[in-house]
Amino acid sequence: MDALLTNTLSPWQWAVMGLIPLALIGLYFLKLKRQPLEVPSTHLWHRLIEDQHVNSFWQKLRQNLLLLLQLLVVGLALLALLRPGWQENALMGDRFIFLIDNSASMSATDVTQGRDNSAERDGSSLPAAGSTWSRLDLAKEHVARRIDHMTSDMSAMIITFAEHTQVVQPFTNNRKKLRRALQQIRPSAGRTHLRAALELASGFANPARITSEEDGQEYDVTDQSPVELLILSDGRFNQVDGFSLGNLRPQFLPIGSPEASNLAIVGLSTRPSETHVGQRQVFVQVANFSNQEQRTTIDLNLNGKLVDAAELKIAANGRAGLTFTLGQVAEGILRARLETPPLFIDRLALDNVAYAAMNPIQKGQVLLVTPGNPPLELALATERVSRLAKVDKQLVEFLQRSEYQRLAKSNRYDLMIFDQCVPSQMPSCNTLTIGRIPPLQSWQEKSSDKLSFAPHIVDWQRAHPLLNLIELGNVQIADSHMIHPPLGGKVLVDSTQGPILAIAPRNQFEDVVLGFEIVGHDEKGSRNVNTNWPRRYSFPNFFLNVVQYLASGDIGQDSTVHQPGASIGLPPAMLRSMLNDHSNGDLSWEKNSDLAPTQQKKDFQRKLENLNVILPNATQRTLPPPQYGKYVFHETYELGIYEVRAGKQRLHRFAVNLLDPSESDIRLRVSTDKVAGYPVVHSISIGYVDIAAQVHSVPIRQDLWKGLLLAALVVLMIEWHVYHRRVYV
Amino acid sequence: MPLTPPLLSPEFLARLERMELVTRKVFRGRVKGDRRSKRKGQSVEFSDFRNYVPGDDLRRLDWNLYARLDKLIIKLFLEEEDLHLYLLLDASRSMEFGVPSKLQYAKELAAALAFIGLVRTDRVRIETLGQAASQRSPVFHGRSSVQRMIRQVEGIGLEDSISMDDGVKNFCLRNRGRGLVVLISDLMDKQGYESALRWFVVHQVDCYVIHLLSQEELSPDIKGDLKLIDCEDQDVAEITVTGPLLTRYQKALHVFTRDAQEFCIRRGIQYMFANNQIPMEQLVSHHLRRRGLVR
Repeated sequence: MDALLTNTLSPWQWAVMGLIPLALIGLYFLKLKRQPLEVPSTHLWHRLIEDQHVNSFWQKLRQNLLLLLQLLVVGLALLALLRPGWQENALMGDRFIFLIDNSASMSATDVTQGRDNSAERDGSSLPAAGSTWSRLDLAKEHVARRIDHMTSDMSAMIITFAEHTQVVQPFTNNRKKLRRALQQIRPSAGRTHLRAALELASGFANPARITSEEDGQEYDVTDQSPVELLILSDGRFNQVDGFSLGNLRPQFLPIGSPEASNLAIVGLSTRPSETHVGQRQVFVQVANFSNQEQRTTIDLNLNGKLVDAAELKIAANGRAGLTFTLGQVAEGILRARLETPPLFIDRLALDNVAYAAMNPIQKGQVLLVTPGNPPLELALATERVSRLAKVDKQLVEFLQRSEYQRLAKSNRYDLMIFDQCVPSQMPSCNTLTIGRIPPLQSWQEKSSDKLSFAPHIVDWQRAHPLLNLIELGNVQIADSHMIHPPLGGKVLVDSTQGPILAIAPRNQFEDVVLGFEIVGHDEKGSRNVNTNWPRRYSFPNFFLNVVQYLASGDIGQDSTVHQPGASIGLPPAMLRSMLNDHSNGDLSWEKNSDLAPTQQKKDFQRKLENLNVILPNATQRTLPPPQYGKYVFHETYELGIYEVRAGKQRLHRFAVNLLDPSESDIRLRVSTDKVAGYPVVHSISIGYVDIAAQVHSVPIRQDLWKGLLLAALVVLMIEWHVYHRRVYV
Repeated sequence: MPLTPPLLSPEFLARLERMELVTRKVFRGRVKGDRRSKRKGQSVEFSDFRNYVPGDDLRRLDWNLYARLDKLIIKLFLEEEDLHLYLLLDASRSMEFGVPSKLQYAKELAAALAFIGLVRTDRVRIETLGQAASQRSPVFHGRSSVQRMIRQVEGIGLEDSISMDDGVKNFCLRNRGRGLVVLISDLMDKQGYESALRWFVVHQVDCYVIHLLSQEELSPDIKGDLKLIDCEDQDVAEITVTGPLLTRYQKALHVFTRDAQEFCIRRGIQYMFANNQIPMEQLVSHHLRRRGLVR
């Protein structure tokens, strides 16, 4: 089918066809039967004919004009029988879904406009490297070409996918609309998530069977016809498991080059120096996604001023890290920039810059209520904990006082730790209860009040932030309550007797209950040891985690890496304290929250309700009110620094960076085809179906035979005209 | 009252009676006629005086001079003699074509010219190109010969083809005398008419060539793929008639007639082109008069 000519006749038919021109020529060799006519003299006629002989070649040619024309007619007809044609990028099917990848890696500029032609020519689906279109531009161009080839009975929709999936244009057969929608697609800095896009497409392609009843008859209103799914992507995503394509008929059109080189910052974080108090360290990790060793320079800017730079040597396909040490820096915007070495073509510019926002360290407020617990107090007095939070200590009797009642209602503390005691009323903050069951119906109805003797820890949730880097296998416990969290809770540590550590949400807060006491008291009231945990490394680590997770939110890591498109959670306590700092640190009204609200408090509340976020492109978004205890901001599609503001006060800053090696490695994944022997782009895998990378053209044969027959007809008319006009001798 | 010949109508004859033939040369005639002769003789036109010698006709003595000079002087007058008019017709098969046929047309023309000659007491001889060298035609003289002349013209039929050169040569051999020769032919001789016409020049005759072509030859009404057969030598020319070919034929015909005219003019031969569609009266009274053959 892909040949220029297609044979449509059998050999004997060809033989017959071949005889036609021969017969035509043969007829011309036959003597023309001329009508005899007697004339007075042929004298003049002979003279005429002699004149003609002077230019006899042209005369012969003119004489044979009819023959030539007739041969041309036959030749055109024979050529039409060969069905000449060519392959063209055309569309097969009725309905199309164009899935266009607009993730960060699609901003790579390693493609050329006419690239797909070369891919068609050499037969491999590998594009040639070397020019300046972005992959997204090329993908749009491919889709535009397919839209051009659409006929009026075809419909298509366009979906972009990166961190988020977006329907750019629902199903339509209006090509103008499709083109306009295509023009509106912009590159994003997000990572590639194909699954959501597939699910969306599947929703359109595999509608549930819906029938509508009209006039007592049922009609099937859903179209179950197959839908062509064209995935235009560079394939930088993992395989999609457990997905059924249904009516979708996927095609993977790889965009990009397997040789695209890129240097990328894949890691940036800052934190206070472990060794030198008052110093801040900046870690930068750079990856080299090319097959040659590269040397590059990393500039470090703080608030727009160059503060440090260093040269870095990175092995081919390797990574290298750098540590910069800054002095005491309270806050600011840190920018690390990678300088592209000369002679190196960096195909993706997005990942050459990374930002970190350093906010003034906000310590969490922790209240420890204990009858006395030296190991616990020691664990909460470490330097790391003190960096994260300020721990206040109260005795158990404090719970009976009205001051506690006020504090419980206020948001003064982020975390309260109740050691060997429980309050009569749970405070409006996160809690950790040690050795007791919280006074809540939901906890108490399941958990047993009885102590179980010597439970052995058998399992714990290592992935939970509270148990991060915690080893509990060597912890022994004398006796413990069995903790059964309420609905929505989660058991964190399981023992032979039952769960002994659990976490459960309470409104916007979280309650953690540890079933066993660390230091207990016997009947005589003397202190005894209930567990050997305080002697283990995991003990201080656990409380560090507790403070970090329950008291300080994200503050501990002051330059948390946010991926583009990620939802950023902002603890209200942090913002409140920031706002409070700006309000001259006067918290007196809060301490007396049972008093009538003052004007100052009203203002404060109003400000908290009207928080704005300034995007890197200087546009402003309103921060929605907190849900489940946190302000959540979703619109983090751009790379750069985001600022949270209350009016004109800057409360918090956070940075969104790509910092994703899988996006920065923009090379098309290739493998050598065992059969063909040349490298081919990796297929993508969707729910056990491997979709091979396709050459960009969907070959459709465009036939010429109609045109040829039309031309033959025209030649025939010319021949007729020539015959009757006798423009030859 | 003479019988009305089919060749010439009485009205035409009446008009012809008022005409006479014109020759640019002066020839010696045989008998006394209407034309000036090189000979001195009896006429009213004075030429010269000479002394009387015995034997001269006493009637021609100028008695007035004798009275005045006492000498016998004879008065000489220009002799008026007749003209030899030779009408030479091409009666080959090619003359058969056309309506009326070229031969018929030529015969009419010959009869008309002969009539004029006879009326003006010229000696008229009508011959054809195909005539054998030894076969002489009768000479007509005087009005009384008109009937015989017409009969002879009527009797001319198609002859076997003979080259024009031979025909003219034979004519010149037969007729040594000088005079006015009118050749009526289509000049369609494959060997060329030039050598034939040169005979007339050599013979110092006053020659008129009337080039007669039929309408079919001037603008042939033919089309299609044709095998043209020459009626005289059965020569064949195969043509496919097209518009351009006909245009080229017209051009070739024009060149042919122009060449003939040029050839004649260069050699002192009067040339006139005639078409068989021209009415005979118009031809004689208008065209031939303009050419100076008649007046």
